[in-house]
Amino acid sequence: MIKKILMTAEEMDRTISRIAYEVAEHLKGLGDVVIVGVQRRGVSLAERLQKGFRDMDGVEVPMGELDITLYRDDLTLLQDQPLVRSTSVPVNITGKRILLVDDVIFTGRTVRAALDALMDLGRPSLVQLAVLVDRNNRELPIHPDYVGLKVSTDKSDVVEVRVKEWDGDDQVVLWEDGGEG
Amino acid sequence: MSWRRKHLIDVDDWEREDFELLLEQTSNMDSILDRSIKKAPALRGKIVVNIFYEPSTRTRTSFEIAGKLLSADVINWTASGSSAAKGESLRDTIWTLEAMGADAVVIRHGEVGVPYYLAEKLKKASVINGGDGTHAHPTQALLDLYTAWRELGSLDGKKVAIVGDILHSRVARSDIYAFKAVGAEVYLSGPSTLMPTDINSLNAMYEPNIAEAIEGADIVYMLRIQRERQDAGLFPSLDEYHRRYGLTDKLLGKAKKGALVMHPGPINRGVEIASSVADGPQSFVLKQVRAGVAVRMALLYLMLGGVKE
Amino acid sequence: MKWLVNGRLFDGELLREGLCDLVIDKGRVAKIAPAGRFVPPEAATKIDLDGRIIAPGFIDLHAHLRDPGQEWREDIVSGSRAAAAGGFTTVVAMPNTDPPIDRSSLVRYVLERGQSAGAARVLPAGSVTKGRRGQELAEMWFMANEGAAIFTDDGLPVSTAHLLRTALLYADDLGMAIMEHPEELSLTKDAQVNDGPCAARSGLKGAPKSAELIAVERGIALAKDTGAHLHLTHLSAEESLEAVRRAKEDGINITCDVTPHHLTLDESLIEKSGYNSAYKVNPPLRSERDLEALWEGLADGTVDAIATDHAPYHLDEKDLPFQEAASGIASLECAVAVVFDAWLKRGKPFGIERLLRLFTAGPASVLRKSDLGRIEEGSVADITALDIGRERRVEAKRWESKARITPWEGSALCGWPVMTMREGKVIWVDGDGGLHAERD
Repeated sequence: MIKKILMTAEEMDRTISRIAYEVAEHLKGLGDVVIVGVQRRGVSLAERLQKGFRDMDGVEVPMGELDITLYRDDLTLLQDQPLVRSTSVPVNITGKRILLVDDVIFTGRTVRAALDALMDLGRPSLVQLAVLVDRNNRELPIHPDYVGLKVSTDKSDVVEVRVKEWDGDDQVVLWEDGGEG
Repeated sequence: MSWRRKHLIDVDDWEREDFELLLEQTSNMDSILDRSIKKAPALRGKIVVNIFYEPSTRTRTSFEIAGKLLSADVINWTASGSSAAKGESLRDTIWTLEAMGADAVVIRHGEVGVPYYLAEKLKKASVINGGDGTHAHPTQALLDLYTAWRELGSLDGKKVAIVGDILHSRVARSDIYAFKAVGAEVYLSGPSTLMPTDINSLNAMYEPNIAEAIEGADIVYMLRIQRERQDAGLFPSLDEYHRRYGLTDKLLGKAKKGALVMHPGPINRGVEIASSVADGPQSFVLKQVRAGVAVRMALLYLMLGGVKE
Repeated sequence: MKWLVNGRLFDGELLREGLCDLVIDKGRVAKIAPAGRFVPPEAATKIDLDGRIIAPGFIDLHAHLRDPGQEWREDIVSGSRAAAAGGFTTVVAMPNTDPPIDRSSLVRYVLERGQSAGAARVLPAGSVTKGRRGQELAEMWFMANEGAAIFTDDGLPVSTAHLLRTALLYADDLGMAIMEHPEELSLTKDAQVNDGPCAARSGLKGAPKSAELIAVERGIALAKDTGAHLHLTHLSAEESLEAVRRAKEDGINITCDVTPHHLTLDESLIEKSGYNSAYKVNPPLRSERDLEALWEGLADGTVDAIATDHAPYHLDEKDLPFQEAASGIASLECAVAVVFDAWLKRGKPFGIERLLRLFTAGPASVLRKSDLGRIEEGSVADITALDIGRERRVEAKRWESKARITPWEGSALCGWPVMTMREGKVIWVDGDGGLHAERD
């Protein structure tokens, strides 16, 4: 159980700003873009991206939160039924360009669920995925469009993205071989 | 906090936190009802059987919609005209349903305690009480609570007046418990002949004068009056009942300004409630109906998932 | 011939000092002496009680043996054996059978079937009215001559005050009592539980205690009027006991019994058990306060007997949701233990002699049978051996009775009968009770 700091708070800030620039550049502007954060830490990161866009060129990009609980593929396997969190996307997403935001991409199953959840809300013209950390061990053919940090891990490792709102501080930690998570 | 209950038979063993968790979950389900695609896959491959020994289109339909919105397969087993009419015992019927793979059985029955009996007999399936005789109607209480909570926020110290035939009302019994559990004060009103003898054990205040009972109330909850009660000699006539206990605009003026008027439906216009009140701006009857779907979604979701003790 | 040694003898009135030996011969108690004082005849079979209580055979005034007509629930043979296994040597069979025991030929049927069972003595109660219809008096004199022990329309009260008055007078001529099931029916229609907290919280129709009290007061007024002996059965309410207490003080010829279930179970169990039909009974389980009043009634002599009101049903009639299930508690095979266990757990609120009398001399006097309920030289050798320290679990599946549901299922109770003897014959022995005796 070895702890490695993958990102400090300062590095997280810088990475998010960088992603904001990449998105703006790649999408050729932020018109019709809606940021959708995956509950819960994806929402925190989405808020920071929203702020990043605001800082960058004063644009207020609409943002929503998406809960994927009802779309998980492991509901029948869990000991306890996970509680449902709020899904709230304040605009009609049909025809919009969606920037889906999550903290870590691992197996790809969460993103799969998020895509399904998103499609039930409307028919976007484009969905792109931004993650703070991309670790390997993918189980589905899903890949992020914007990555903060790519890291090679074992399946039993835990990547923990800590955010002030929930965890008291900002940092990304890798727990090798198990960890506390 | 997680959900550990396999069955929902009554809310009389729920703690305040249970109610609060359910309200939270319900509000998250509620938003699904606003979507153009009102469906989520959470209960794919689950079978919910509605078995109704008393006719109740609204409760049954509400469960059916709730289950379907979460992608469960919902089957309606009509008790009359099927095996019950052929003399099959309730026990054999539900064992049959379980053998067919039912994950949850929603039961409405005219007799007190039937859901307890089923819960004891079933090996795997969850039992949800859709109303048992005069005893309990937990999902009604939860939807009432949700409706009030959405509108008023915290119900701590709020005054709820429940008016009518308390004696025969499963809705009243479950509502009293649920509202009290989240901190509301409950007053009961109606003629003494429609009150239980040992009314004190309901833990609510009894005030036979309706005007005083609803004075300053945040919620005025009117119960349905059944004609059979007149036939049983418990009050002289529906007309006299309406004059004494029917909710009119004038009477509603005694309650707090903008008080919520609630009713479990179906309404007897001109008996327990005047049409002008039922259709008026303070009537929350249709919001209750919508809340019923959301509450039942939350319950089905919580009860059908995970591995219960 | 039998030689019972080292027993603590309760003779129907008192528990004798020290241990006793008894010689039983030709169905009677031939000799009683302090332990070890004499050598018995060689032919005698010795049974060592090792300090256990020897009491007159227990008498149950009130059991439903369902025979003739409802033998799927119980029959006279199973009921007689169940009684013996419960510690009773005499059981009074209620007449609400199909057809009801309302004529001498049916009284004879019950007696003969009881004889053939070879277990507890079955005494038929005859019905007060023909067909239990509450209209005309049944032929009580014929039935008495044939061996009826008491008269009752149990299951129902005697329909009218006039008829009850007439029946009291008529039975009094025969030297017999009328047993009344006190219930004002207009107040108990569709009732399922006591009209208390359980009724309030479930909406189940409640039977108010006034329904019992009205009938009790009616009976007392008529007993006073006629001077005849009225026995009130299965009293359940504090107020009823109070009425009987006053009537007895006034010298009215009233006796009463209470049941083991009303002494030990209260209405709260119905809710606690999730409306388990095992607790459904008429009169319904009452409040804790009523339960305490019944114990006071035992302590001060208001109550004359403890009677089971054993009401067996087939599983298919009882293992049902509460409202559909038949009303009645089966207890014949655990009733004695239920009561002794409660008496012990309450810290012996009164002497054991008083408790023993409620199963022996008390019911014998209600039946006006001076030859039962006591042990002395020359008396009928009906004996119940009791082990106050014996603990055993209630297991209805092992019962002689056909009933399989009882509220005490699985309970470990303390204070069990270990042997019953009727007219000198051992009719039941608890195989695990540590007593070396053989069934005759």
